[in-house]
Amino acid sequence: MPAFNEAARLPAVLDSVRQVVPDAQIVVINDGSKDATTDVARDHGATVLELPFNLGYGAALQTGYKYALETDAQVVVQMDADGQHDPSEIPVLRAPIESAEADLVIGSRFLQPTDYEMGHARSAGRRLFQWMAGRAGLSVTDPTSGFQAMNRTVLELYAGPFFPTDYPDVDVLLVAHRRGIRIREVSVHMKPETRKSTLHGGTRSFYYLYRLALSLWAGTNQRTS
Amino acid sequence: MQTSPTPEELRDLLLNAPESATTRVMAILLSLVLLGVVLTLVRRRTLREEYTPIWVTVSLVITIISIRMDWLRALTRAIGAWTPSSTLFFLGEVFLVCICLNYAVRLSRTNTRLKELAQETAVLRARLSWLEGQAAQDRQKK
Repeated sequence: MPAFNEAARLPAVLDSVRQVVPDAQIVVINDGSKDATTDVARDHGATVLELPFNLGYGAALQTGYKYALETDAQVVVQMDADGQHDPSEIPVLRAPIESAEADLVIGSRFLQPTDYEMGHARSAGRRLFQWMAGRAGLSVTDPTSGFQAMNRTVLELYAGPFFPTDYPDVDVLLVAHRRGIRIREVSVHMKPETRKSTLHGGTRSFYYLYRLALSLWAGTNQRTS
Repeated sequence: MQTSPTPEELRDLLLNAPESATTRVMAILLSLVLLGVVLTLVRRRTLREEYTPIWVTVSLVITIISIRMDWLRALTRAIGAWTPSSTLFFLGEVFLVCICLNYAVRLSRTNTRLKELAQETAVLRARLSWLEGQAAQDRQKK
């Protein structure tokens, strides 16, 4: 669970996760927060990976993957610390991994009609990259979902240097798909997201599209490890 | 009656214009200053030795060009430029673009290493505090 200045919302999230999976190890990656994120997380029974400075969402996630690899975790569920994801759906995400039907399970907002709404630019960008992924034989409806479950095969891949420091997207999923990772989506409910969207604002959304296109190209043409 | 020169005559005129001694002295001074700055930075340990060859080379090239300006003129003729100064600007720009790209690559590599180091620190710290917790529990049991 990557967290950046989430001291206010963490307690409720951690408590509800604990209720759903009482035996699981909860790991919070504090991505250089300026608030009491670390203390709050420890007080609520989480292991805290404290980054010395802000590295970005993707790099924080990757820190969690590296820790999971070192501590021999078999199944990892990642979710956002802002309460956007509903912990009661963790078992739904975990099930296909535990039954070895999939290596990577993505909690999708769009698999079924939900009450989740997103802006026009964002939804256009989503459709464009969905189409690109479809051409490569990968069908995902929600590649930017931060609610995912994975096994060690995926962890080993994601701990590699290709994993982005900012928001991972369909580029990462395509690399995984090409490596033979079995990706499955399950339908989940999400509250409107609070983290700063990369698809808002003129210049930023252009940069986002540019970066993703470049990353997709690099993923197709270069070594990933 | 005086006629205006043809472009070819004008180019020859510009290419063969005698350089002034001041230009030469200025160029040599500039290269000496550059060399001096580089050596000072190395002495103060602000600049690492492996970054110096390129700047020492630049300083040498400036010195050589200011002594053998006919080489610069020959090069100007060869690349189709009109004045030696535009050849210098061109070469300077190519050099700057190359060195900027090189630094961007080095910066990316350093950033990756820094990220990995930060991640490693976070993981090791978590492992350490877990081990310390275990050790404290063991002590209590004894």
